[in-house]
Amino acid sequence: MLNYIMRRLGLFISTAFILTLIAYALHYWLNQSHSQPIINGYITYMIQILKGNWGISIIDHQPILAKGLKSLASTLELSIFAFIGALTLAIPLGIIAGIYRNGQIDYLIMSTAIIALALPVFWVAIMMPTVSNIFHLTLPIDGQISPIYEVKNVTGFMLIDSLFTTGTYHFEAFYSRVRHLILPSIVLSLFIFAETIRLTRHSISMVMKSNYINAAYSKGLSTVQILRSHVFKNIYPSIIHDLRSNLSTLFSFAMTVDIVFKSKGSGQWLLTSIHEGDYIVLPTAILIIGGFILLSSILIDILLMLTSPTKRITLYVD
Amino acid sequence: MSINDEFDKKQIRTPLHYIFQIFKKKVAAIIAVWIICTFLFIIIFADFIVSHSPSEQNMNALLLPPYWLKGGNTAYLLGTDELGRDNFSRLIMGIQRTLAGALIITAVVSFFGLILGALASSLKNFKASILHHLLDSLLTIPILLTALIFIVIFGSSFQNCLYAIAISLLPQFIRSIFLSIETEMAKPYIVALKIDSMSDLQLVKNVIYPNILEPLVTIINRVFTMAIIEITTLGFLGFGVQTKGTELGAIIANNFEFMYLSPILVLAPGITLFIIIFSFNVVAEGIRHAIIEAEQ
Repeated sequence: MLNYIMRRLGLFISTAFILTLIAYALHYWLNQSHSQPIINGYITYMIQILKGNWGISIIDHQPILAKGLKSLASTLELSIFAFIGALTLAIPLGIIAGIYRNGQIDYLIMSTAIIALALPVFWVAIMMPTVSNIFHLTLPIDGQISPIYEVKNVTGFMLIDSLFTTGTYHFEAFYSRVRHLILPSIVLSLFIFAETIRLTRHSISMVMKSNYINAAYSKGLSTVQILRSHVFKNIYPSIIHDLRSNLSTLFSFAMTVDIVFKSKGSGQWLLTSIHEGDYIVLPTAILIIGGFILLSSILIDILLMLTSPTKRITLYVD
Repeated sequence: MSINDEFDKKQIRTPLHYIFQIFKKKVAAIIAVWIICTFLFIIIFADFIVSHSPSEQNMNALLLPPYWLKGGNTAYLLGTDELGRDNFSRLIMGIQRTLAGALIITAVVSFFGLILGALASSLKNFKASILHHLLDSLLTIPILLTALIFIVIFGSSFQNCLYAIAISLLPQFIRSIFLSIETEMAKPYIVALKIDSMSDLQLVKNVIYPNILEPLVTIINRVFTMAIIEITTLGFLGFGVQTKGTELGAIIANNFEFMYLSPILVLAPGITLFIIIFSFNVVAEGIRHAIIEAEQ
C-alpha cells in the first residue's frame, strides 16, 4: 500500500521535473538575453519558482502566479458544474444503452452521443445565447458575476467567495454567480455527456457478458438488483479511469468555452496575455495547468486504488 | 459453399474484403461515405465551384439573405456578408482549407505515430521509462495550450497552425497506439510467435497492426476530430488568419457580430463543420462495427 503510494509519488516527481524542464526551455527561449549558462539558469529559475516569484505581468503589474491560479479556479468551477450536470444525465442513459444493446433505445441514445460529440464547442458556445432566447430564458451570456456585486478574493473560487458576502447581499451574489455558470457549463457538459455515455455503455456491455452476471440471473435476481449489487461496482473504476485520461482534452474545451463566455478563466487569461505580447504566461501556464492535471490524475489513481479491489491487483503483482 | 468457388461473386478473398462486405450493408455509414466523397469533391474542385472570389466585395449587396428568402438574389446563393462578399464561395473555400488541413494533419500524425508507437513498444528498461515519463508530462498539457505555445514560437499563420496542431496531437496518438500494442502483446499467441523467434519489427508489422485495426480506427478518428476542432478553434481565436485565405473558424469569428442581422452567416459554416465531423464519426463507427462483426 505504502509502496504503491511511494511509486505514484515518484512518478509525480519525475513527471513534474520534466514539466519544469519544458517550462524552463520555453522561458529560456522567450528571454533573449542570457547571462548564465543553461544549467545555472535552470537552478536559479527553479529557486525563483519555489520561492513563489513567478514574475510580474506586463499588462497590469500583478503577480502572474496569483492571476493564473485565480483563472484556474474559475475554469475549475465551470468544469465541476459541467461534470455534475453531465454525469447525472449520462450515466443512467449509458446504463440503459448498455443493457438494451443494439435495441431501438440504444441507437437513439448513441446517436445523441455522437451528435453531441460532433458539435464544435466554440460554435455551440456562440449559438447558446440565441438558443436560450428561443426558450425565453433570460440568462447572463458573459462574465463571471454581475458587476454590481463586489466580491473579495478569499479562496479564489468565486462561488465560495460570494458566500462570504451574504452579510451585504444575502444570497444574491451567489445566485448571480450560479446563473452566470449555467450556459457555459451546458456547452462544456456536451462533451463530457457524450464521452460518459460511450464509456458507460461499453463497460456495461462488457460486464453484462460475464459469467457472474449469468449466475446472478440464475439465482433469480432482478435486473435492477444485479445492477445495484454487481454491475455498478464493476464499471465505475473503468469509467473514472477513462475520464481521467480525457482530463487534458476536457481542459482544452473548458478553455475554449471560457474564452467565448469571457468568464475570466484560464483560456481568457492566456489569450489576452498572448494578444498583449505578455508571453511569460506560457511557461507559467504549463506549470499551473500541467501541474494541476498531473496532480489530479495521480490523486484519482490513488483514490481508485483505495476503493476498487480490481485496481488493487497491481499491489500484489509486483 | 466453398470459399474458393471461382464463380461465386461473393467469395471472400481477404479479411479486409470480408470487413468491406459487412460494411457495405450498413446504410447510415454508406450515406456518410457519400457525404464525405462530396466534401472531397469540393476540396479538389473548389476553384471551379465558386462563382465569386472569396475576397471580392460588392458594396451594392451588403448582408443579403440566402436566395430562397425575400430580398435574396440567385447570384449569391447563401447571401452576402457585411462587406458584400459571397457567403457560398467563402464557405466552399473554407471547407477546402479546413478539411484539407485536418486530413493532412491526420495523415501526418498517423504516419509518424504508427512508426513511433511501434518503436516505443520495442524499447526496454531505461529508455522506455524515459519515454513514458516524457509522454506522461506532455499529455498533462492541454492540446490548446500546446498549440498556442507553438504558434507563439513559429509565428501566426495558417501553415504554422497546422504544424502546431500536428505536434500537439502526436503524444496522445503515440500513447494510444502504444497501449493497444501493449494489450495485444500480452496475448498468448504473440508469446508463441516470439518463442518461434519472430523479431519485434516483423511482429508489429505482420501480426500486431492487422489485429489492432479496431482500436486503430477509433484512434485515427479521434485525431481527425480533434484536428478539425483545433484548426477551427484557432481560426476562431484569430490565429492563422490570412488576408486572402478563409477558414471555417475564422469565417464564424468574422461573421459573429452580424449573427442577429443575418443568422445564415454563422449557421452555415457551423452546420457544415458539424456535418463533416458527424459523417466521419459515423463512418468510423461503421468500420469499427464491421471489424468487430468480422472478428466474431
